[in-house]
Amino acid sequence: MIAFGHSKKRDEQKLKEAYFTASQGQLIRARFRQNKSAVVAAWALTIMILMGLFAPFLSPYDPTIAGRDKDYENGPPQIPKFWDENGFSARPFLYTLERERSIQTNFRWVTTENREKRRYVELFVKGWEYSFIDIEWDLPGTAFDVDLKTLTFDRHLFGVSEGGIHLFGTDASGKDIFSRTLHAIFTSLAVGTLGVLISFVLALIIGGVAGYFGGWIDSVLQMITDAIRTVPPIPLFMALAAFMPDEWSSETRFFFIATILGLIGWPTLARRIRTHLLTERSQEYVLAAEMSGASASHIIRRHLLPSFTSYIIVDLMITFPYVVRSETALSFIGLGLTDPVNSLGALMQNVSKADVLLNYQWYFIPVIFFIAFVLAFVFVGDGLRDAADPYSRSGK
Amino acid sequence: MGRFIQFALVRAVMSLFTLLTVSLIVFSLMELVPGNCAERYLAFKNTQGSQITIADIEAEERRLGLDRPFMVRWATWVGNVFVHQDFGDSCILRLDINQLLSDKFWISLGICLAALFVSYLIAIPVGIYSATTKSAVTNNSLRFISYLGLALPNFLLALIIMLFSTVMFGDSLTGLFSKEYRDAAWSLDKFLDFLSRAWLPIFILGWSATAFALQTVRALMLDEVGKLYVTAASARGISGRRLLWGYPARHAMGPVINSLGFDLNRIFNELPVVALILTLTEAGALLIESLARSNDQQLAGAIIFLLTASIVIVNFVTDMMLALMDPRIRKGLIGS
Repeated sequence: MIAFGHSKKRDEQKLKEAYFTASQGQLIRARFRQNKSAVVAAWALTIMILMGLFAPFLSPYDPTIAGRDKDYENGPPQIPKFWDENGFSARPFLYTLERERSIQTNFRWVTTENREKRRYVELFVKGWEYSFIDIEWDLPGTAFDVDLKTLTFDRHLFGVSEGGIHLFGTDASGKDIFSRTLHAIFTSLAVGTLGVLISFVLALIIGGVAGYFGGWIDSVLQMITDAIRTVPPIPLFMALAAFMPDEWSSETRFFFIATILGLIGWPTLARRIRTHLLTERSQEYVLAAEMSGASASHIIRRHLLPSFTSYIIVDLMITFPYVVRSETALSFIGLGLTDPVNSLGALMQNVSKADVLLNYQWYFIPVIFFIAFVLAFVFVGDGLRDAADPYSRSGK
Repeated sequence: MGRFIQFALVRAVMSLFTLLTVSLIVFSLMELVPGNCAERYLAFKNTQGSQITIADIEAEERRLGLDRPFMVRWATWVGNVFVHQDFGDSCILRLDINQLLSDKFWISLGICLAALFVSYLIAIPVGIYSATTKSAVTNNSLRFISYLGLALPNFLLALIIMLFSTVMFGDSLTGLFSKEYRDAAWSLDKFLDFLSRAWLPIFILGWSATAFALQTVRALMLDEVGKLYVTAASARGISGRRLLWGYPARHAMGPVINSLGFDLNRIFNELPVVALILTLTEAGALLIESLARSNDQQLAGAIIFLLTASIVIVNFVTDMMLALMDPRIRKGLIGS
């Protein structure tokens, strides 16, 4: 009994020691894990990011017009079955679709489902070719042209040997919505990452300098930031997009749009960093560091920025879906990314038509992914915020 | 008091400077739009059957003053805007922009301000409650709803409401006026009719604004609630609503007021999409029309400038409010 008490005490001691000696990262991770919804969201997000990264491998069809299925336009989703009235099969199957046009069908194409002929889903089938690294830059001057294509594969996770398999159905030109959705997730991720990265670096430099030095430097930077911040980005960007020449390739358009979204996004974060720094720099610990002869950049980096990491994290996590949303809004108006680049916005543009709403509801599947994507991001951002805040009540 | 006037004057000059910078940005952007007003006008004439030569275009450019250097044209434009509130003529429609825009711009601004007001009306109490409540269920569902406000695209929300209304009431709720009031002069009836339709764009614009405001309020409150002065106040026996509204909420309101201008900016962002989906006939729709379809740079520039100017004004007002509300700033400026 006594021995047991001892060991319990020792365990407690150990736990306490672990708590006090844990690094900031370990503490954040431990606190984050206690937040159930954030953990679930983090898993969902990870899965979606992986889906986006391995989109070509996971999608049975080329998401561009090259991969269209002529015989299955506006086709409803085909869900593989394991079982029907003809018996059970360990391997999922689809029925064969037969298209017929004759005097019986009044000379119209009529598609019938032959339930006797099963088409089995196969794993690791050969299909369209894709490369994970495919860089083709046509920069001015032939010496700078880059044409790099490696890691080329043609295996896909699943597929069928004949006919089509369209898990989410097809759109008006017969493009596979499942494949398009996966590629769109990747595009949205890429646009978001690039945009957030650009705005983050700009905000950190400009907001940090303005907030730390104050005085006239702050006033000048503040005026510039204010001016850029006040222009609503979407109308501004609509003007920029109107300037985009038609002959630009879709990749160039993509980089252009991501850059602009990043350039427009930084002022919010910069202003918040500055406001925080202004209040924080008069605190004693900053004075102490100054007295010990620490340089300005050292104080900003080592003392001031860590004091509001949680703010930056939340802001970045919140900015990310906003960048994605901005892209979506632009593509929705018709000024953003266009075919053959698939973005969630471009996919959602299809949804706004009335006959889609009434007849082709499977067009909405990408919208569900968009909602899940943004939701997951916001949940993770919020969980991180609570976890990174050393004074938060949870986890103590 | 003298120092406060000085502060207000400095802020006013800074706002004016911001407006000038913005006008330069907008004006340069309009230069980027391919083609110019002269070409566009003559291209229109061309469709009417008359033959157009390069010399005609050059003559027209001279007439419109487009052959002068960029900075001169910008100065003229800004001068006209600031002194005469005159944005010139639209390139395509050949109409005075003031005439074209006046009502439509005020309607847009009204809708957006209403959306902003509604969003904070909901967000402040709910955000404070969400930051302090101990009930996990309430908290999680509130958070989920506010996140959904960010994640659910506004056009989807609009589509759902429109579809629902079409099926249920046989009216798709699009547009801003019923047929009989569309061209009528403003009257009480027209205003009531406008209100009966404007709630939908206000709701949709306010939807994600509320979600964002809720996030801000909650985050700020969470930061403040844990601070020592709150503990000190509760140790003095203040509790419940008096504690929350009197101490942490007052501190959290500063950044909220500070961000009002930006929230308006965010709402303006959504305006074109909402205008497109609800087929509104206000400034947002005109902006899409002028940028995406007709390349009418004069009109687009005027709209973007007006939207930005209203944000600048809101920013100025909130700065003044902040200076009056926050005793730390107020005492420094006015003296106690």
